[in-house]
Amino acid sequence: MAVIARGWSWTHAERERPAVAGLDLKIAAGEKVLLAGPSGAGKSTLLHALAAVLHDDEAEVHGQLLLDGVAPDQARGRAGLMQQDPESQVVLSRIGDDVAFAAENLAVPREQIWQRVRAALTEVGLEGFGLDHPSAKLSGGQKQRLALAGILAMRPGLLLLDEPTANLDPEGVWQVRDAVLAAAEATGATIILVEHRLEVWAEQMDTLLVLETGGGIRRRSPAAEIFTDPALREELGAMGLWVPGRDPLQELPAWPGEAVLPGKAVLPDEPARDVKSAWGGMPGPAPGEPLLLAEGLAVGRHSPKAGWRSAQPGAPTLTDLDLVIRRGQTLGITGANGAGKSTLLLTLAGLLPAHAGSLAATAELKGGAAGAGLAADPHEWRSADLVARIGVVFQEPEHQFVRSTVREELALGAQQAKVPGTADPLFTEEQVQDRVTGLLQRLGLSELAEANPFTLSGGEKRRLSVGTVLSAGPQVLMLDEPTFGQDARTFAELISLLREHLDSGGTVLAVTHDADFLRGLQAEELQIGATGRAAPGTGEQPGASKAGKQPEAPGGELFAAVRSLSWLGRRNALAKLIAVFLITAALVMTIDVVSSGVVILAALALLPLAGIRPAGFLRRIWPFAAGAVLAAWGTAIAAEESGRVLLDLGFTTISEGSITLGLALGARAFAIVLPSVIVFSTTDPTDLADSLAQQLRLPARFVLGALAAMRLLGLLAEHWRTIGQARRARGVGTHGGVVARMRGTASQAFGLLVQAIRMATRLAVTMESRGFGAGPRSWARPARFSAADLPVILGGALIGALAVTAAVLSGTWNFVWT
Amino acid sequence: MSSNNRAAPAGRGTGTHFPARSWRWSVSDIVVASVLAVASGVIFWGWNLSYHLVGNLFVLYPPVETLVHGMWLFPAVLGALVIRKPGAAIYCEMVAAAVSALLGSQWGLTVLSSGFMQGLGAELIFLAVAYRRFSLEFAMLAGAASGLTGGITYHWIVPMYAYAPTETIIHIACFAFSGAIIAGVLPWLATRGLAAASVLGPLASRRAHREPRLGLGRSHG
Repeated sequence: MAVIARGWSWTHAERERPAVAGLDLKIAAGEKVLLAGPSGAGKSTLLHALAAVLHDDEAEVHGQLLLDGVAPDQARGRAGLMQQDPESQVVLSRIGDDVAFAAENLAVPREQIWQRVRAALTEVGLEGFGLDHPSAKLSGGQKQRLALAGILAMRPGLLLLDEPTANLDPEGVWQVRDAVLAAAEATGATIILVEHRLEVWAEQMDTLLVLETGGGIRRRSPAAEIFTDPALREELGAMGLWVPGRDPLQELPAWPGEAVLPGKAVLPDEPARDVKSAWGGMPGPAPGEPLLLAEGLAVGRHSPKAGWRSAQPGAPTLTDLDLVIRRGQTLGITGANGAGKSTLLLTLAGLLPAHAGSLAATAELKGGAAGAGLAADPHEWRSADLVARIGVVFQEPEHQFVRSTVREELALGAQQAKVPGTADPLFTEEQVQDRVTGLLQRLGLSELAEANPFTLSGGEKRRLSVGTVLSAGPQVLMLDEPTFGQDARTFAELISLLREHLDSGGTVLAVTHDADFLRGLQAEELQIGATGRAAPGTGEQPGASKAGKQPEAPGGELFAAVRSLSWLGRRNALAKLIAVFLITAALVMTIDVVSSGVVILAALALLPLAGIRPAGFLRRIWPFAAGAVLAAWGTAIAAEESGRVLLDLGFTTISEGSITLGLALGARAFAIVLPSVIVFSTTDPTDLADSLAQQLRLPARFVLGALAAMRLLGLLAEHWRTIGQARRARGVGTHGGVVARMRGTASQAFGLLVQAIRMATRLAVTMESRGFGAGPRSWARPARFSAADLPVILGGALIGALAVTAAVLSGTWNFVWT
Repeated sequence: MSSNNRAAPAGRGTGTHFPARSWRWSVSDIVVASVLAVASGVIFWGWNLSYHLVGNLFVLYPPVETLVHGMWLFPAVLGALVIRKPGAAIYCEMVAAAVSALLGSQWGLTVLSSGFMQGLGAELIFLAVAYRRFSLEFAMLAGAASGLTGGITYHWIVPMYAYAPTETIIHIACFAFSGAIIAGVLPWLATRGLAAASVLGPLASRRAHREPRLGLGRSHG
C-alpha cells in the first residue's frame, strides 16, 4: 500500500501549534520506513491519523492523507496499528476470539473467519497454542505477536508500529521484531515504525524519515546511513534514540570505577553474568555496614494470611533467601519473568509481608537512638518511618503520584516523615522547602514546579518519581525496572541521579532486565531463579509457555478463560440468565422463610450439575450468609412493631413480629444470592456477551465494550494493589482512623481512575484500529438455543413455581407489592 | 468560558465535517465508560474491605447505614460527568453493578434492577439540563436523585427492607444525602482531577478543570 501526504496538518483543539504541519510525503508500497523525530514532532499523531483513529471534534485539519488514493477512514481494515503497551493490545480473553475480533468487525463471513484466524496465528508463531488459550497467560512478547495476528487477520496493506517493542523484555523484543518482518515479507505490507531502540530494527528498514518539530520532514535517507553517517548518529542520539554502538553513558561526567569495565554499548540480549557469589556475604569493593538482613526469607505476592476472598493463602514465589544489604552497595536483581524479583524488592522495602524467615533492619538503617524503638521488620513500620529510610521507585511513575503539582509532590515525602514513635515531623517546614528547591534544581524540573505531575513527559515523570522518593532522604533506594521503555536520554539522566545518590553514601537496589543499567552503576548482580533465558532471535517454543510462572491476577479464577465443563457450564448463557431471572422474580415477590428455603435447598441440590464442590461453594458464599444476618438484624430493629415487644431501646424496639420479618428477609437475601453465584461461576463472560448481543439484540458496540473492559478487571485489581503499596511508600498509607482510611481510599481510587482511563483510551484505539464500531459486523461464534437448553429454562421456572406454591400452601406467602 | 471553537474546515483530508457536538457515543466513549465502570467494581471491592470497619458504626441503628451507601452510586455520576452523553449514568451504574454481581454481590441478580434505577435518578437530572451542565450543584443533585431512586427501589420496587414508615424515610433521606456528597461532590472532584491530569483527551469532559465550579457557565460547546 502506498502512502501519500499532501500539505497535511493537524492541530489539536486548544493547542496553538500544530502537531504536524505541512507534511508532504510519499511512501512506496512495501517500503519499510523508520520514523524518527524529536518528542512532540507528531510521530504518534501521524500514525494514528493513518490508522483513522484520530478523532477530535474541534481539531483543525488541512491537506490530504491518502492510503492507495483514499482517505484513511475509507480504508477501514487496510491499515493495522500496534501500540506500545501489550496489555492494551489484547481485546478478548481467548486468543482465537481476539484474532477473530478484527475479522468480525469487517463482517468477514463466519466460515472464512476461522481460516483467517489459524493462518494469522501461524504467521506469528503462536499456532502451538489452542484457540481457547487465555490471552492473559501470554508473556508481553507473545501478547504483541497476538496483536499482530489480529492485525494480519484483517489482511492489511500497511503496518503502523508505535514503539511495538519498547515495553518488552529482551527475548520478547526479538520475537516481535522477527514476527513483524516475516509478516511484512509474506504479505508485502508497507511498514511505518516508530521506535527508539534502533539497534533492534535499523538494519531491516529501508528508509529513515526524520520529522521536524513544528512541521515537515527534516531528513529522508536510506536507513543504512544510521550506521555510517556520524552527523546523523549524533542528531538521532540528541533526540534520545538508542543509536547502535553509541553509549549514552559517555555523555555523562566520568564516574569513579567506571573505567574498570569496557565502556561498550551492550545489546539488550547480552546474557546475564553469573554472579552466584552475590549470595550471602557480599564481595566487591567498599562493603559498608549491614543495613538489612534477610535469613531464610520467603516472599510471595499474595498475603501469607488467608483473605476473605480466597481461603487459601498464596504460595511463596521465592524461598530460603539469605541476603545482606550493605551501605553504599549497588545491587541489581535479575532473573526470568515471574521469578519473583519485584516481589522480593517489595518485601525488602517493607511493602509486602514476608511469608517465612526473617527480615531485619539494623540499627544503622533505623537511624541511631531515635530509631531504636522501631520494629526489626520494616513491614511493621509506619509509612511515616519507612519514607525516611527506604524509598521505592515503582516501574510506572504515575502509580506514585498523589499531589496536583510537582512542587507538592516533592514536598510530600519530607512532610510525611516523622520522628519514630512520635507524631513530630522530622523536618521543619523551612527544611522541607529547602529540600524541595534543591530537588527541583537537581531534577531539572524548576520550570515545571507548578505543573500537574500527570502532564509531564515520560522522562520528566521518571525523574520526578525518583525525586519524590529522595524527598525524605532515605538511605536505601529500591527501584523496580526503572529503565523499562525509557529513551536513551532519560536513561542517562536516571543513571546520573542514582550515581549522585551513591556518591553521597546511599544504597541502590534495582530489579532490572537492563544490562546497560547494571553497567552504568557498576552494580553487583543477584540472579533470581533458574536462568532459562531463551536465546535471542530463536523465539520461544509456543508449547513451552512460561504462563505457569506468571503470578495469577486477582479475579483470575472468576474470569478464567477456561470454560466450565460441567453440564450447566455447557448450556446457553441466556438460558441460564432467564432461569436465574425466574427464580429471583419469585423470591422478590414475597418475604417469607418458606419460599427462600425452597430455593436454598434447590440451589444446593443442583451443585453437582454445575460441577461445584460443596466445600468450595461454602467458602464462596459465607460472606453472604454474614450479610444476611446483618439484614435480619437491621429489620428486627427498624421494622414496624408487631406482637410482643422483646426489647425497648427507647428510640426503637425489637418485637416478635420484627424478628420474624427480619429472619425472613435474611433468608431471602441469602436465597437470592445462591442461584446467581452458581450461574455466574459457570458462565463465561464472552459467551454471555455473545448471547446478549446476538440473541437479546443488545447494542453490540456496548456489549463488546463492556466485555473488553471486563477483561481488564484483573489488571485493574493489580493496579489497585500496586497503587496502595506506592502510597505506603510515599508516606500516605491507609492507616489510622475512619477519616484517614476514607481519605486514603479516595486517593487510591483516584490513582486507579487515572490508570483505568489511560488503559481505556489505548484499548479504544486498539479496538477502533481493528475496525470496531463502524458498520455491520459478523460473529465468529453463533449464540443460539439448543434442545438441551430447554431444561435449564424449565428448571428455573419450576424452582420459582415451587417456591411460590410452597409459600402459599404453608400460609407464609407475604406479597411485597401490597 | 474557554471553549473558543475553531471555525476551521475540519476533516481528515476528505473535507468531512465533524459535528460541533454529537450525542452519538464514540468508540472512546464506550470503552472509557466501560472501563470506568469496571474500575468502579474494583473500587467497590476495595471499599468493601474498609466497609467492615465503617459498617460497624451503624449496628445500633441500621436505618442510617445509607449514610455511606452513596459509595455505591458514584459510577453513575462519574460516568455522566466524564462521558457527557445520554445514557452514561445508567450504563456505568449498570455495568458496575454487573461486575459486582460477577465478583459476588449480596443482592444477586437484583443488582441489575437497582443499578438501573440508581443510574436513572442521576440520568434524569442531566437529561433535564439537556446534557449541557456538569457543575457541582448538578453533580450533587444527580447524586441525591440517584440515592432517592435507589431508596425507592430498596423499599417499593424490589423491596429489600421492611422498615416502619419513619425508618423508611430516614433510610431514603440518608441515602440521598450520602449520594449528594459521596456520589456528587467526589465524582465532580475526580472529574476535574482527571481533566487536570489531562487523561480525558478524547472525551467531551477534557476541559472540566477549567469550568466554573458552580452553575451559570455552560459546560461545553
